[in-house]
Amino acid sequence: MHIVDGALAVPVLAVGAALTVAGVAIGLKKMDYDHLPQVGVLSAVFFIASYIHLPIGFSSVHLILNGLIGLALGWAAFPALLVALFLQAVFFGFGGFLVLGVNVVNIALPAVLVYYLCGKGISSSSPKVAAVWGAAGGAGAIVLTTVMVAFSLMLSGEAFLLAAKVTFLAHIPVMIVEGFVTAAAVLLIRKVKPEFLNIKESSEYA
Amino acid sequence: MHRLITILFLGLCSLSVSAHNVVGGVYAIGNQIEGEVGFSNGDMAAAGTLIKVTDAEGNELANIKTNDEGLFSYTATRRIDHLFFANLSSGHLLELTLPAAELPDSLPSESVTGVNLSPQTMEVVAPSVTSSGQKTLEQMVERAVAKQVIPLRKELAEYKEKASLQDVIGGIGYIFGLCGLGIWWRQRQLDKQSKG
Repeated sequence: MHIVDGALAVPVLAVGAALTVAGVAIGLKKMDYDHLPQVGVLSAVFFIASYIHLPIGFSSVHLILNGLIGLALGWAAFPALLVALFLQAVFFGFGGFLVLGVNVVNIALPAVLVYYLCGKGISSSSPKVAAVWGAAGGAGAIVLTTVMVAFSLMLSGEAFLLAAKVTFLAHIPVMIVEGFVTAAAVLLIRKVKPEFLNIKESSEYA
Repeated sequence: MHRLITILFLGLCSLSVSAHNVVGGVYAIGNQIEGEVGFSNGDMAAAGTLIKVTDAEGNELANIKTNDEGLFSYTATRRIDHLFFANLSSGHLLELTLPAAELPDSLPSESVTGVNLSPQTMEVVAPSVTSSGQKTLEQMVERAVAKQVIPLRKELAEYKEKASLQDVIGGIGYIFGLCGLGIWWRQRQLDKQSKG
């Protein structure tokens, strides 16, 4: 998911950086400052998730969790992911500094979309329905991210279909895992801390 | 049915998941340059990945392909800096440099074309018994040293690529620190509001 420096054309980098600035501005404006610790914790979760490689079959995958972050934070996903991606570039060498803007948009915009598309579903009174929406959000965010990564590469000269196919196929295991993880996380958080997902406690008992 | 799902799942997982850093290295053994390219999780680059070889000015010298194990080799004909570019798709690029200093002194530093081979240079090139013996010895020493040093260099490169626990904890610390700053700033705003 992390595109490295040197892979993209300058206009793509500039647009990515501009969109990130806009997204972070909206995120900071919309963010409920009482939820700042939540934003920090999820930022830390993302920072670590990319570092832990889970062995599956002959290869390994790492979680991205942008679906879960989007469901919990909405627009505040932008500042949370900017900080996490910046620190990943510093500490782990993932991605790069010039390409930071594009990487933030590619990962945070799907998170925000998932927030709008699945946010209502996860607060459904039936846990089953909520879990399905959670899984859809977790897997959907990865699908959107792969499409955006492929799109960024296409704008920089790579053939879109080829880039999209390679990135998409490589991330199918991640989509499956993320779907399960996000569904499980949604179910757990609904029980123990519904306000974390912006679910009012009244709906819990309704 | 279950077996089908398992087979499908394993099949999907065997695709190299490209969400990792690209790592690699180039090493000279005599005038042979050997290199490897792969992902930080241990997967090697797919067989047939194109590697572009250029000199320091960007002039293309050759296009070579990796083998099944993500290894490639190139025979240097000049003692110049060699640059290797690999594109592993999905935005995974790698640039490797082999400095001229690692290539044997016996190679010409500029390109030698047939046209400007004067009789004088021919004489120099013409092998005499002693010089060829010395040359073989030099090559043997070079090869022996390379054999010893390359595993060390590979290990060092791996070590550099690996983030330590300090990095992980340091990163989390930064995030929590930023949160603390945010909360402190927020509190100050609230205090100001309540006073004013």
